Amino acid sequence: MIEVDGLTKRFGPVTAVDGLSFTVRPGHVTGFLGPNGAGKTTTMRVILGLDAPTSGRATIGGRRYDGLIRPLREVGSLLDATALHGGRTAWMHLLSVAQSNGIPKTRATEVLRLTGLEGIARRRAGGFSLGMKQRLGIAAALLGDPPVLMFDEPVNGLDPEGIHWIRGFFKALAAEGRTVLVSSHLMSEMAQTADHLVIIGRGRLLADVSTADLIESSARRDVLLRSPRAGELAGLITARGGAVKPQDDGALVVTGLDAAAIGDLAAAHGLAVHALVPRQASLEDAYLDLTEENTDYRGGTR
Amino acid sequence: MTAPTRLSPTDVPNEPASSHPVPSLLTRAADLVASEWTKFRSVRSTYWTLLVALVTPVGFSALVAVAFANAPAAGGPPPDPLLPEVLSLEYAVISVSVLGVLGFSAEYSTGLIRTTFTAAPRRRAVLAAKAVVLGAVTLAAGELVAFASFFLSQAVLAGHHQGVSLSRPGVPGAVLAAGILLCVCALLGLALGSIIRHTAGGIVATLAVIVLPSILGLLPAPWSGRVGRFTLLDAARQVAALHPATNLFAPGLSLLVLLAWPAAALALAAVLITRRDT
Repeated sequence: MIEVDGLTKRFGPVTAVDGLSFTVRPGHVTGFLGPNGAGKTTTMRVILGLDAPTSGRATIGGRRYDGLIRPLREVGSLLDATALHGGRTAWMHLLSVAQSNGIPKTRATEVLRLTGLEGIARRRAGGFSLGMKQRLGIAAALLGDPPVLMFDEPVNGLDPEGIHWIRGFFKALAAEGRTVLVSSHLMSEMAQTADHLVIIGRGRLLADVSTADLIESSARRDVLLRSPRAGELAGLITARGGAVKPQDDGALVVTGLDAAAIGDLAAAHGLAVHALVPRQASLEDAYLDLTEENTDYRGGTR
Repeated sequence: MTAPTRLSPTDVPNEPASSHPVPSLLTRAADLVASEWTKFRSVRSTYWTLLVALVTPVGFSALVAVAFANAPAAGGPPPDPLLPEVLSLEYAVISVSVLGVLGFSAEYSTGLIRTTFTAAPRRRAVLAAKAVVLGAVTLAAGELVAFASFFLSQAVLAGHHQGVSLSRPGVPGAVLAAGILLCVCALLGLALGSIIRHTAGGIVATLAVIVLPSILGLLPAPWSGRVGRFTLLDAARQVAALHPATNLFAPGLSLLVLLAWPAAALALAAVLITRRDT
């Protein structure tokens, strides 16, 4: 279990994390979502004792990270897969990490097999693709067979097969009762991997919900309707219990009645309909709605 | 890329660990030293810098001895028969300083330091483990160079009847003391690499700390001695001399000065290492 409590981290005038509180529970894959610069990596660094919080605290199983003895047996983490010495072989890298926590060599061999890296263990990590480096980082995180796992943007650089593999891997780890926290800036990715979502923007908590609940709440269905006699149709729809929201371009957005009912209604009254489009908001839309106000870096086209 | 292994239920051991017996402090220290030793021996820069540190001074000592022996009219015999060996050791200072700086700067520049500190959140223990590994290797290298240079230069000087033997009182101690120089410079580099966190900056700072104070030795007497006695290189020459200079500290005190440089730098590194974010 990871607990973040009133966490604030400032870098000079910049507040990267602002009074953030959330709990990550075992047995689930928890997605840690937010736009770039939202404070995900900073939060993870504070949890791992790499950065000191300005105020608040983060604990793992009730203890501060720097109080853990042989921490790799408690928490496995991957922050930056490219953080390797390019001249060192994958095997030597893993061995040095294992030795620091008294983990036997046999386990290093085992995690190489788990991540499909046995074939390249004796090669220098500098020549690895990003996907191979991600696998090596995941191998290192698994060394201590820890009950808590944290991954920062682990999908970056993986090919489709690798992404498929990693999703199953996270789910399998969570199914064993482990706590798994995975960050991403892509809602579509997390929707397929995570059971629970912690969404932040500008260092603040925006949502702490189960993925199912977010889908439920965001599943607003409506129908886009265009008609030369929109005014009359609007009256009929309202009379039937539907809600009508006129758009700037003259179209109507109808909720409460489905497309078939609207079409029948129009036909019954001999009113022409030019367009009748059932629409469903995606999870991505819900995420964008949430984070829109809380994005630091935004492209000019949105 | 190799095909990923499909995860079957037996692949990942069940029952996530919750409690482990707490290993003793000594076991944990040994673990960290083993880890740092693996890192140290698994990159090529270690071998290149050590090769340069070993080969350059040994060859150089013979050349210096030849120069001393063949120029009796101009400069007379060497002021100290052990000087060629000490001078040659100074030519290994640069490469062991680089080796020391890289101990931390290579980890900071790649980001590997975060893996290191995540695996070992007690950062001072990491500093200590790196110092043990680097110190042991550079001490061994320094003594190897010191004795090899001694025998080579004395062999040359002996041909001109200017050599001294290892059995002469004071000689073994002086040669042993000379061998410390490389370890001192490497540890100074390690500390400054940890403080500056940047390879080029760390190397410049280390060499500046070693070399620049020696300029003060060029001050007019008696200030050359009054200030020079505190500099790292003059202290090293003093402990390694058969006939110590009279205007500097005695060899015993000079040895303390020599050790104080890396000790002070490591102390500062130990203070800063826990205070800064990575």
